[in-house]
Amino acid sequence: MSMKKAIKYIVWVVVLLLVAFKSVYIKKLSDVKAAKSTSFNAATYAQNFWKNKLSQAEAKAVDVDELFAQLKSNPKEAFQKYGHAIAIGSTRFFMVKGKGTVRQITADEVELNTTGANNTQLATTYVFGNAVRDASGLVSINDFTNTIDLSNVSGEIDKIIRKQVLPPFRQTVKAEDHLEFTGAIELNEAHLNLADAEIIPVNLKIIK
Amino acid sequence: MRRVLPLLLLLLVLGACRNHQSANQHPKIAVVVSTLNNPWFVFLAQTAAARAKELGYEPRIFDSQNNTALETDHFDDAIASGYKAILFNPTDANGSVVNVNKAKAAGVPVFCMDREVNSAAPTSQILSDSYSGCVKLGELFVKTLHQKGTYVELLGLVADNNTWNRSKGFHSVVDEYPGLKMVAQQSADFDRNKAMDVMQSILQAHPDIDAVFCGNDAMAMGAYQALVAAGKANKVKVIGFDGAEDAVQAIKDGKILATAMQFPKVMAQTAANYANDYIKGKRIFPAKIPVGVEVVNQTNVNEYMAYGKKN
Repeated sequence: MSMKKAIKYIVWVVVLLLVAFKSVYIKKLSDVKAAKSTSFNAATYAQNFWKNKLSQAEAKAVDVDELFAQLKSNPKEAFQKYGHAIAIGSTRFFMVKGKGTVRQITADEVELNTTGANNTQLATTYVFGNAVRDASGLVSINDFTNTIDLSNVSGEIDKIIRKQVLPPFRQTVKAEDHLEFTGAIELNEAHLNLADAEIIPVNLKIIK
Repeated sequence: MRRVLPLLLLLLVLGACRNHQSANQHPKIAVVVSTLNNPWFVFLAQTAAARAKELGYEPRIFDSQNNTALETDHFDDAIASGYKAILFNPTDANGSVVNVNKAKAAGVPVFCMDREVNSAAPTSQILSDSYSGCVKLGELFVKTLHQKGTYVELLGLVADNNTWNRSKGFHSVVDEYPGLKMVAQQSADFDRNKAMDVMQSILQAHPDIDAVFCGNDAMAMGAYQALVAAGKANKVKVIGFDGAEDAVQAIKDGKILATAMQFPKVMAQTAANYANDYIKGKRIFPAKIPVGVEVVNQTNVNEYMAYGKKN
C-alpha cells in the first residue's frame, strides 16, 4: 500500500468517525423523563384548580344582588373592586354568590329570581369561555409560556362544570325550587347589560 | 501650525453643525407590518406609527408583503439605520424568528403586534385573544344552527399561529356537538380573492352546506361573494373574524352572521408605549399580553364600528 493510499484511508476513517459521532446523541433517561413530565397538562391543572384553589375565590365571592346594586350606582368602582380579567379590554369577570327561586327552566338556562328581586340566568348548556378561570383571580398569565395552554385551562374547567356540576342539577331542578349558588359572570364595562348577564355555575344547591 | 489651525476650526464648526442637527432629529422607530394589502393591517401600522410620533419618535412603516425574505431586508435596514425599536407584525410564526433574533442580538427591542412568533426573543408580544374570541363565535354558531348541520371552514395562512388559535377555539366548542359536520377545511391565506375561488370549488362538491366559518373577515367577504354567485347567500350563514369595516357593514345589512371585533388600536398603542418605556430604561415586560375580542352580530352591531368600539 502506497503512502498516498494509506493517508486516503485514514482520512476516510476519520470522516466516518466524525459523522458517526455527530449523528448519535446520548442522553440520560432521567433527563428525557424529566423533559416529558414538564410538558403542560391542562386537564391536570384544571382538576387541581377545581379541587384545591377555587374555594379561595368562592370565599371572596360578592353577593349577586350587592354587585348588581353597585353596578347600577357606580359601575366603574364595581368593576375595579370585584372584576378580574387576564386580557386587556373592557370585559371583566366576577365571582358571585346568591340565593334565588327558579322562575323558569329553558333548554339552555335556569331563570332565577334572586332574594334581592333581580332576574338572572344560570347557564345549564352552553358553558364555554374564560369566566370561571378569570373571575377566580387566581390564574396569572405569567405562569404560562404558551397562550394555548392558558386557553386550554378554561376549556378543561368548563368541561368539569358541564360533566360534573350540571347533569345532576338539570335532572332534579324544578320551577319554584329555592337555590343557593356560586358562579362567574362576564360583563363588558363599555356595553353593560345586566338583563342578559348569565351566571356560569360553580356550585349549585337545591334547598327544597 | 498656521495650516493646522484653520482645519481644526473647520472641523469644530462641522462638528457643531452635526450636533445641532442630531439634537433636532427624533430617534426612529420602525413599524414592520406583514402586509399593507389588507386595510386591517394598514390601520394597525398607521396607529402604531401615529402613537410613536405622539411619543416624540420618527416612525417609518415597512411593508413585508407577506414575504419573510423582504421582512429580513427590512430588519437589516432598521438595524443598520439605527432604529431604536421595532413594532412588529410578523409574516410567519416560525420564519420570522430569525429576524427577531437578529434585532435582539443588535440590541434593538422587538414588540410583536397581533401576530405571534414562536420564540421568547421579542421583548413583548401583544396579541388578540383569538382562541377565546373563536370560542364565543363557536357558541353563537352552535346556537344559530341549533346544534346540527354541515359547514365549511376557511383557514388563514397555515404558518400563522392566529390561524390555528382561531380554528382550535372554534372547534373546542363546535366539536362537542356531533350533529355539526365539517365537510371541507381549506386554507385561503386570509385573502378575499382566494377565499372566493376556494369557496366556489367547495360549493361544487358540497352544494348543500349550512354555514361557513372563516378565519378572518376578508375571507368571509370572499366566501359571501361566492355564495351570492351560487345563489345561496340567503341560506348559508357566514362568520368572520377581525371587525373589518366591510364585515361590520355586511352584518348591519344582514349579509353575514357575525365577526369577532379585535382592537388593533389597543395593540398598536400598547406596543408603541412599551417601546417608549424600553427606550427610557424599563426592562421588565410581560412576555405575552392577550387583548380581548368581542363578538359582533345583528343584536349589537350598532354599538361597534370598524376596528373598535363606537364612542
